[in-house]
Amino acid sequence: MTGDGERALAHRALGYLDGDQAQATVTSERSLLSRFARSAATQATAIDDTSVELLCVLDGHTGAASTNQLDDEGLAAAASRARAAAAAAARSGSGPYPGLPGPAETRPHEGFDPATAMLDPAEAGAALNAAFACAGAAGLEAFGIWTAGEVRTAIASSTGVTLTDAVTDAHMKVIARDEHGRSGYAATTAVSAGAIDAAALAAAAAAKVSATPPGELPPGQYRVVLDHAAVGTLLEFLGWLAFNGLAHAEQRGALCGRLGERVAAPCVNLADSPRAPGTLPRSFDAEGVPKRPLPLIQDGIAHAVVHDTRSAAQALASSTGHALAPGGAPDGPAPTNLVLAGGGAATLEELCAPIERGLFVTRLWYVNTVEPRHALLTGMTRDGTFLIEDGVITRPLRDVRFTDSALRILAATEELTAGQRLVSDADLYGRRFANGVLCPALRADGFRVSGGSA
Amino acid sequence: MSVPGRGFAFAATREVTKASLELALARAVAFARALPAAPPRAALPPIPPALGHWSSPCEIDPFERSLDERLELLLTAEALLRSDPRIVRGEAESLAQRTIAAFASSDGAAVVQERTECGGAIAAHAAADGELQRRSYPSAHGGSVALAGHEHLLALDLPAHAPRVAEEALALLSAPPCPAGRTTLVLGDEQLALQVHESIGHALELDRILLGEASYAGTSWVSPADIGSLRYGSELLAISADATLPGALGSFGWDDEGVSARRTMLIEDGVLRATLSDRQSAAAIGVASGGTARADGYARQPIVRMTNVSIEPGDAGTLDDLIADVRDGVYMETNRSWSIDDRRLHFQFGTEIGREIRNGKLGRLLRNPTYAGVTPQFWGSLDAIASPPAWRLWGLLNCGKGEPGQSAHVSHGAAPARFRNVEVGVSA
Repeated sequence: MTGDGERALAHRALGYLDGDQAQATVTSERSLLSRFARSAATQATAIDDTSVELLCVLDGHTGAASTNQLDDEGLAAAASRARAAAAAAARSGSGPYPGLPGPAETRPHEGFDPATAMLDPAEAGAALNAAFACAGAAGLEAFGIWTAGEVRTAIASSTGVTLTDAVTDAHMKVIARDEHGRSGYAATTAVSAGAIDAAALAAAAAAKVSATPPGELPPGQYRVVLDHAAVGTLLEFLGWLAFNGLAHAEQRGALCGRLGERVAAPCVNLADSPRAPGTLPRSFDAEGVPKRPLPLIQDGIAHAVVHDTRSAAQALASSTGHALAPGGAPDGPAPTNLVLAGGGAATLEELCAPIERGLFVTRLWYVNTVEPRHALLTGMTRDGTFLIEDGVITRPLRDVRFTDSALRILAATEELTAGQRLVSDADLYGRRFANGVLCPALRADGFRVSGGSA
Repeated sequence: MSVPGRGFAFAATREVTKASLELALARAVAFARALPAAPPRAALPPIPPALGHWSSPCEIDPFERSLDERLELLLTAEALLRSDPRIVRGEAESLAQRTIAAFASSDGAAVVQERTECGGAIAAHAAADGELQRRSYPSAHGGSVALAGHEHLLALDLPAHAPRVAEEALALLSAPPCPAGRTTLVLGDEQLALQVHESIGHALELDRILLGEASYAGTSWVSPADIGSLRYGSELLAISADATLPGALGSFGWDDEGVSARRTMLIEDGVLRATLSDRQSAAAIGVASGGTARADGYARQPIVRMTNVSIEPGDAGTLDDLIADVRDGVYMETNRSWSIDDRRLHFQFGTEIGREIRNGKLGRLLRNPTYAGVTPQFWGSLDAIASPPAWRLWGLLNCGKGEPGQSAHVSHGAAPARFRNVEVGVSA
């Protein structure tokens, strides 16, 4: 995992850039992804590609261009486009970009697994066979994906940054489904493909498919147990809505005026922890700023937001290493390694125990923001929604729509499981950037169900 | 690549050399051989070989215009948005994109297609007293983008609309919230376009209907047996999928399997007539491909996508005419929030702006308007669509589907429409 090729390419690309400052970023992806439906392999995609992003800084403005034509001609043309963009912006007057960061020491991480980087297609085949067999034994069909990838990144900049990183990730999800469309879900995301137990996933998904016809739950407020996947989705949205330093500086964030205040229950401790065991670690952000742990909510008190170089300048703060693109993404920075600390409940059953009548939610689907300033979200439950009565799960429910604030749910959180899981939707659009939220399941009061499924 | 007795796999290479192509082929073959044997797929009916060249319309080449000119337009518009300190963020953006794609297949296809996309948008974010409001023009999702040249961006005249956009964002800060209840809902054409996209377009993708997308995008409340008989909405509802519409982002000469562009009526008189399909999904139910296989680049395999799925205009006149026939209702415009279940049945949308309707006239501004419904009931409540002059194309650049994810560019034609007895003002 030396990254020598990527480093050399980054330096070669940097040689074509001029301007006040410049950065070249090389990203190489090798990955396999196999989809399956109705217990049969359906689509499989093998990716092996390298792209170069070039950033030119002129008088406080940035201009960017990218290419996957890696010869001298392609690099020179991209560099010319990046410079032209920065120059055009600079002709409008000085800009706010404070300049590229200088070199800083990065720390090693455990985010690379050599065996996973081998990308053996046979692992995919074995995983699919195991999932199909397990689902079939339960009289169900399996749907899902198995994927593994290796991504190498190198950054070279005119400020002296020379960095390389190599990470691997693997993900498998199984949706077990019966002939009536009742479904259950289970997934694993990890640095290593060896962490995936396809049969166990299929069994867990199948266990959530009940032969009992689902009941309906009328709109209202309910005590709820959110399984790990549901918690992870809420936190992923909260990452954007509450901890984006640019939105915070522009008075658009959900924590504006609330840093230092109680925003969640005392049992809630949330951090961005790029090297915590169980996460998908990274060494540095898209500007080459080293990743380091950052507490965001401590004992329920809002503590910090995250920054890239651009948002930090606006907030008179320092970059926390959360740039999503060279020069900072237009929509600002975001945490990519959220970790919610576990609580005292040993099992999901223990979380359910105090609930007289409530809801168990396996995962959420098509969540979207209704009011960003209040972290108000709406979405559906999916693949395993159950009624809790007298402390135990009694029967399945049709999926319901919720409209509730992620911050309010954290404020109403009563207990969390000790065990955490890495939750990821594996939304692998564009160049692979695997990330997830490490979190426990939790119990909260007053979960707001705004509609139901008939 | 298909390996007999095993599976299918796809690989790509950025280097168009014999050696690189052979390596990509070897990766695909190795992957396909490693996967469990797939059940036999329906044989693909032959199609006429796609041959020729296709270009989208482009009057003014955006790449012949200087960056300075485009930037000045955006800076002027953005400056006009910042009319008040409560405007905490102004955005102005433009897009110019040209794609040249060559396609050849063992069916004898050999085509080159050239697409030029242009467009732009502005948005103002206003904040005060714990409230945040966003107002955009001409739409919230990347603005108006079309298969066109620089002339499309110029015609949007972003600077001219900036003062109004800022004023509306500020006015929304102190507007009353949208009241909750069931009432008559009039939707602007941009919001109706997204309603069509989410509750009709995706629901009628045949791969979803056949459960092929259950792992991610979901399935559909529609089944193959419904084709020809399912009442999807009121008799006013007519939906087309038309890849031949000039200027629309989902237009092309041939789809990414070499099937020629066509116009298909998906819904007529409120009844389901056809679905969106590629060659494989169509063969599975014994019909011809609908010609809607699309990939978002050379490194992704084509999947069933929307082309330009549009609601046909009605004969109800103008937006004012729609409103004139409402005693008590709400008008909503410009999408802000969207969510729908994995069967494309239960949805909830929010828009940037709402207005009270009283006795046939628009009244006070309403903030945070939302509405919710169930697909067939909602479309069944459609009782008027504005006439052809009010029908416009709306482009979307962020239609996500597939694993690995693919983003499709599609357009939807829509005119303002009216729905009776809809749930509005959904809140926490």
